[in-house]
Amino acid sequence: MQIRQWQVLSILVLAALLLSACAPVAPSASDADSGAAEMPADEGPVTITWAMWGSPAEVATHQSVADAFMEERPEIQVEIAAEPWGDYFTKIRTLWASGDASVVPDVLFLSPIQSYASEGVLENLDPWIDKSGYNLDDYWPSLMEFATHEGSVYGFPRDIGLEVLYYNIDIFDEVGVPYPDESWTWNDLLAAAEQLTVVEDSGRVSRYALGMEGGKFMLWVMQNGGAPLDDMRNPSRCALAEPKVAEAMQFFKDMMDNNYAMPPANLNQAGGDAAVFQSGQVAMIIQNASRVSAFNAAGMNYDVAVVPIPDGGQRAAGAGGASWVMSALSDNKEEAWTFLQWLQSTDGGQRIYTASGEILPALQSTARSDAFLNSGQPPVNRQAFIIEGENAKIGRTGYFAEWSELNGSFISPGRDQIFTGEVSVEDGLAAICEQVDAFLAENGFPK
Amino acid sequence: MGVRQTPHPHGNHKVRAEGAADVAPYSGHTTFAHRAKPKLPLQAHMTAQTASVSQQTSVSRWRRYRPDQQWEAYLFLLPSFAGFLIFVAIPVIASLALSFFDWNLLSPPEFVGVKNYVQLLTSDRVFRKVLFNTFYFTVTIVPLQLAFGLLLAVALNRAVRGIEIYRLIYFMPVVTTIVAAALVFQWFFNRDFGILAAAIWELGAKTGLPIRPPDWLNDPDWAKPAVVVLTLWKNTGFTMVIYLAALQGVPRELYDAAKVDGASGWQSFRYVTFPMVSPTTFFLMVIQMIGAFQLFSEAFVMTRGGPAQATLTIVFYIYQMAFEFSRMGKGAAVAWVLFIFIFLFTFIQTRLQRRWVHYEAGGES
Repeated sequence: MQIRQWQVLSILVLAALLLSACAPVAPSASDADSGAAEMPADEGPVTITWAMWGSPAEVATHQSVADAFMEERPEIQVEIAAEPWGDYFTKIRTLWASGDASVVPDVLFLSPIQSYASEGVLENLDPWIDKSGYNLDDYWPSLMEFATHEGSVYGFPRDIGLEVLYYNIDIFDEVGVPYPDESWTWNDLLAAAEQLTVVEDSGRVSRYALGMEGGKFMLWVMQNGGAPLDDMRNPSRCALAEPKVAEAMQFFKDMMDNNYAMPPANLNQAGGDAAVFQSGQVAMIIQNASRVSAFNAAGMNYDVAVVPIPDGGQRAAGAGGASWVMSALSDNKEEAWTFLQWLQSTDGGQRIYTASGEILPALQSTARSDAFLNSGQPPVNRQAFIIEGENAKIGRTGYFAEWSELNGSFISPGRDQIFTGEVSVEDGLAAICEQVDAFLAENGFPK
Repeated sequence: MGVRQTPHPHGNHKVRAEGAADVAPYSGHTTFAHRAKPKLPLQAHMTAQTASVSQQTSVSRWRRYRPDQQWEAYLFLLPSFAGFLIFVAIPVIASLALSFFDWNLLSPPEFVGVKNYVQLLTSDRVFRKVLFNTFYFTVTIVPLQLAFGLLLAVALNRAVRGIEIYRLIYFMPVVTTIVAAALVFQWFFNRDFGILAAAIWELGAKTGLPIRPPDWLNDPDWAKPAVVVLTLWKNTGFTMVIYLAALQGVPRELYDAAKVDGASGWQSFRYVTFPMVSPTTFFLMVIQMIGAFQLFSEAFVMTRGGPAQATLTIVFYIYQMAFEFSRMGKGAAVAWVLFIFIFLFTFIQTRLQRRWVHYEAGGES
């Protein structure tokens, strides 16, 4: 009896092992078959896979872009593979890890480029650009650096996620505060904030002047001439323990302490900056162009302006955006390049995305075209995007693979400690830098 | 379960444990439930086997047609066993191997020996914070949950009309989706317009006293209690139901005897109820401790581990390492350290239980 039980068990184990071995292989084998069947037949249209993350609404826009392309170039079929943001990156990495060219999409939406380019999974686009004469000068100054690794271009940013100041015209009119304009400094912002904030007798704040995500604090730092690290590609030390950084942090902390700015954690709990701006719980937010379509759909009375800067400071909106890349494993690179080039042209994908109203396009010619500047939709002062675009800076995030951990484990928690008043600004910045420097040393920086 | 005590409370108790696993409160328990599942057909098979043994001599003719009933049993077992192997056993072993590698999913894994473990235990400051947070949650959540659960069970263990409605009310949070609950609590705690805060603001305004609600989720000192409150709300009903079942198994005679001896209400609770439900307390303590060690969803949805990592737990750190920072090897190492902790603490508890858990009715109390 005992022996028989073991026999049965071992057969069971074997059967299960076989099952488990078969499961992952089966789909890729059939995929490879279909790929092989298509390859020799050169006459039919070539299919390329195009992957991105996005909400159903965003995926619908992507699909309309693919449809427009296929209408122009019927010999290339574009198949969309969309995943929600939360699963996208793990899924894509897993596909690459399989090493099977037939399952990896040909053209993908990615960020940050450097983490992938350094692993050799992305196609270096330099030869393709040289061969076709694709014009990189049309991109916003410094934006292409965002998609560059070791001097080569590995992707094309679809848009530039720079911030502008959104303000609620109704609240400004009601309080009698002049609208923000290019002349505004931090002091003007503070003066307006004092009037716009509403604190009840009990001490409860029923309206904050400003709502801004915590992660955007680096905007203030860079406006004041600071930076997170001494070199954002190959850092050797933390650059946050500097007086100009401390000054910028103090500025934002004072805004929160005076109830002018909603604390970032509360902003998140309340549903994010768009929710509190629409409900009138804040009079201004600092955010990129992604909110425009939602505010227009809600029929809000709002406009945008450039972000106020400190006296003697600089405009420092973030130059960067998720980029279209080509997989180095692609079997259809010619077709993928044709599609990429079309995607990133004013007559092609850029115009369609811009018309959808959610992005500030990466190409200046698209941004200055009627599709963006004179779309007939709010906000009126779209020139603010152009001004910030011309002055946008890269360097708010690191362009190396370890950045996400460095930021997530040390810089962001340290920032929280400063903003919640657990530590003073100076001590907090010194503590962040100590940990950042230790992390950089442990990971062998500078490389 | 009647008034008569079953001769084997321990075995009886085990059955309860398995039933309970299906409604286990923590997300981590899905694995537990999954592992428990194959036991049921196995147990059924055991009885079938004993039956066949006894029949062998009397009806030997049947042997030709049913030489061994094990095959059918194992056939029925196969789907869940295969699932267990593919989705639990193999990944578990793979994760142990992975913990000795550096792997970002893109480049091939690189063998680094015990580097991940050494780093965790010596230089990783975040891990120290994460450990502290996890122990904080364990030592607050487990005792409070036991106390509230027992209290509620005693209060609801009486024959009053409509008592089921009350039991239902307290059990409802257990079957609520944790993400939905966490979102509601997030608004509940919000300082500016949360309902809890609104009441406190109102109180301050009415009395003119400088009373202000705490900034629950924005203040590192208050964020932890906020997570504890949510977890208690969510899970106490489960504790209560298990205790209710245990209370109904306590023989009436013991209370009568205690009454005759002149015991007060408190004394009969202390010297009858408490020892009689101690096996249940032990069971709850073990699974709740494991659950508390695996706390994730509550902090993930409500506080995102913040502010300043105040609610970052071990499981959250595994998630961060593996899926946010793409360090699969280090994430696996953290998971194995967590396993060792859970193993150790469970082992210590099973040792300590001999001193306070009473399995016999009318034991040494």
